[in-house]
Amino acid sequence: MSTPAAAPSSVLTAFAPSPARRRRDRRARAMIAGFTALALVPLVLIVYYLLEKGLSSWSGSFFTSDPTGASFFKNVSIGGIKSAILGTIEMVAIASLIAVPIGIGVAIWLVEYGRKSMFANIVRFFVDVLTGVPSIVFGLFIYITLVVTDLLGRGLAGYKGSFALTLLMLPVVIRSSEVILSLVPNSLRESALALGAPRWKVIFRIVLPTAIPGMVTGVLLAIARAAGETAPLLFTVGGANATTFSPGSQMNALPLQIYNDILSPTTSVINRAWGAALTLVVMILVLNLIARLISRRSRLA
Amino acid sequence: MTSDGSTPQTADMPSDELLDPQSSPIRRQTPGPAAAAADGSAKRQAASGKQAHSVHLEKLRAFYGTAEQVKGIDLDFHANQVTAIIGPSGCGKSTMIRCINRMHEEIPGAHAEGRVLLDDANIYDSGVDIVAVRRAIGMIFQKPNPFPTMSIFDNVAAGLRLSGVGRGDLHGKVEAALRGAGIWDEVKDRLGQPGIGLSGGQQQRVCIARSLAVDPEVLLMDEPCSALDPIATLKIEELIDELKQRVTIVIVTHNMQQAARVADRTAFMLSGDLVEVGPTQQIFTNPSDQRTEEYVTGKFG
Amino acid sequence: MSPASSASTRGTGRPHFQEELAGLENATLEGIDLVLEQIDRSVEALLHQDVELASIVINDDDRIDGRYLEVHQGILSLLARQAPVAGDLRLVAALLHTIKHIERIGDQCVNVCKLLPLCGNDPPTVPDVLELVVRMGTLARSEVAQSKLAFASRDAGLAEDLVRQDREINTLQRDIFRRAIEIGEDPDVREWAMTMTLVARCFERIGDNAVDIGEQTAFVVTGLFREFSDSRGDGAA
Repeated sequence: MSTPAAAPSSVLTAFAPSPARRRRDRRARAMIAGFTALALVPLVLIVYYLLEKGLSSWSGSFFTSDPTGASFFKNVSIGGIKSAILGTIEMVAIASLIAVPIGIGVAIWLVEYGRKSMFANIVRFFVDVLTGVPSIVFGLFIYITLVVTDLLGRGLAGYKGSFALTLLMLPVVIRSSEVILSLVPNSLRESALALGAPRWKVIFRIVLPTAIPGMVTGVLLAIARAAGETAPLLFTVGGANATTFSPGSQMNALPLQIYNDILSPTTSVINRAWGAALTLVVMILVLNLIARLISRRSRLA
Repeated sequence: MTSDGSTPQTADMPSDELLDPQSSPIRRQTPGPAAAAADGSAKRQAASGKQAHSVHLEKLRAFYGTAEQVKGIDLDFHANQVTAIIGPSGCGKSTMIRCINRMHEEIPGAHAEGRVLLDDANIYDSGVDIVAVRRAIGMIFQKPNPFPTMSIFDNVAAGLRLSGVGRGDLHGKVEAALRGAGIWDEVKDRLGQPGIGLSGGQQQRVCIARSLAVDPEVLLMDEPCSALDPIATLKIEELIDELKQRVTIVIVTHNMQQAARVADRTAFMLSGDLVEVGPTQQIFTNPSDQRTEEYVTGKFG
Repeated sequence: MSPASSASTRGTGRPHFQEELAGLENATLEGIDLVLEQIDRSVEALLHQDVELASIVINDDDRIDGRYLEVHQGILSLLARQAPVAGDLRLVAALLHTIKHIERIGDQCVNVCKLLPLCGNDPPTVPDVLELVVRMGTLARSEVAQSKLAFASRDAGLAEDLVRQDREINTLQRDIFRRAIEIGEDPDVREWAMTMTLVARCFERIGDNAVDIGEQTAFVVTGLFREFSDSRGDGAA
């Protein structure tokens, strides 16, 4: 913007940035853009590798046959990951069935009853600690208590893996549910109480319905995380290859499948590992998208 | 019964309940051998139509922990009249009004002492059903807060559903309540739409309908118009003028002009004490207490 | 005389409003000063049959009418913008009434002065009647002055005392009336005496207005409006 030579300086031009400032501005922006690009590089590479190496293994038999080769249809020589997918779904489902009700229950207690009491604060502290515990520790804990002792049944089993995943999901569900529940405006509780509702009705008829979309988001994210964890399953599940639906026996899971396959000398098996990895990422992506869509319908955060 | 200031009876006279058509609706809900007899008086009360119900505060004190916010108040709210409570911020007027429907004790660490009599029954007696108290003494809050997950119809019906009061003829009761709140014509064609889609003034009237649906005897209003524009405010004030024919109204307001327009009697509170109470006309033309004079003329507060 | 002595009820809130209200009260009380001057001049003119002074009084009444309009407008504006209540509201109502009474007093002075030229340049005066009339005027003047003092200091007792003085004025008026009847046969003297009864009536009305101002003072102080007893007295209403 060039000002005519004879024009008096107006207030606006007095505030125009100096050339030195403009240069510094540009340099800062270039630096930030550079860091962003740097951060994006590995992400882009990951997506690229996943697609390049994984897509090629995707086929109909890939999803319908076990690593053993047994299939819904014709048996194949190099199997797919059916048992892994089914195993992951089943184990995560069991874990969710346990973790979600308990987690939401604890969150409700923290927000509606415990509130700021000393005991509630202690509970919150421990939940926070647990969210930071490495997932392998949960696996080890279940290993020590259930696998080595054969307390509830012999050896490695699918349900023991589910328990480990439950422990993993619980703090996440509690935390996110607590946040959402505390975002419900207190004025809603007050109005419901003032109408003569007993406290439990206030929680279940007023607070929870308002909080549901946000809580579903939190639950889905917890599920997505559990689906991708390898370490808790290592010492608890065992990674069988055949499809089983009985949680009492050893099961397969996608992370285990990847872990086992990637070390194989056979190229096609390695490719299967990439295919499994891509599948896992896609599953988690889908869960994330659903969570996002639901959270947009939420009237809270 | 107590509308002209005659001393109220003491609360424990169950035998009189049978003969007394104006016995307090609170007592007719307390369980026990009087319950069966109380049904008769309840039916008689319902059949005789509108009754006049007064509230009497006796040495009411309210605490947050050890801090005394309301310091021993004796105050009458005459039946079918509007009483306004005015006073500077922090004088305890909101705290006091929340003691009348026992909402004060919902705050952790808060408690109240003294007696609050609805007609002839002390709502703080042991064994009194809080749900019954809040059904009989409704409350409208400062910020309109229709339940966000519910339609307009469900919002108005919420009071009936939450407090478990008779749900027969739900449609009829909802319509009557919306008519009573002066908003039936505006919403009758969109009862299924969410309650939060209305303007602020309309939302507040829906909240009033919600409270009216359970057929209260007393309506408490905590600065009901502070969040509304002037036209909506005037509509609510006109509504208050109509409603006082069927309910006794207590309104807390920081807007003295509103108290002057709307109330039959006005009470002035200062630092937890009741300074003066009297006919509104007298408070605003010739108050007895110097502090009242200074407050209403704006010399402080 | 500033109304500061009545500021005992005033705290520190709403300074602009309080200034405005005090300003209106000052304007009203100064209006009383104006009419006091007018009364003085009227009595002076009466005493010396000074027709020129009388015409000054008549012209100066515009100032009082102007003052009335000013206060009236100021009060309307204050009511609309500030919504005064309680003591302030009573004060505003009292000022409105008072400035009207002041305007009436001013009109009565004009009436007195308009009657003077009717007597001609050299009227036959009867000294004791003239003395009575002048005494009425002086009494009326002191009543008005006392009403101002009572209002400014919010002294209800002083206000009520006006009734006593007003009784005296009423007595004087009856005396003048009786003397006028018995004045004799001379038509010029009779005409003058009749004119004097009319002047007496004007002074009596001034006294009544002063008592009315006293009633307003009592209203501001007590919040109750009552007519002081015996303030009307006998004679034509």
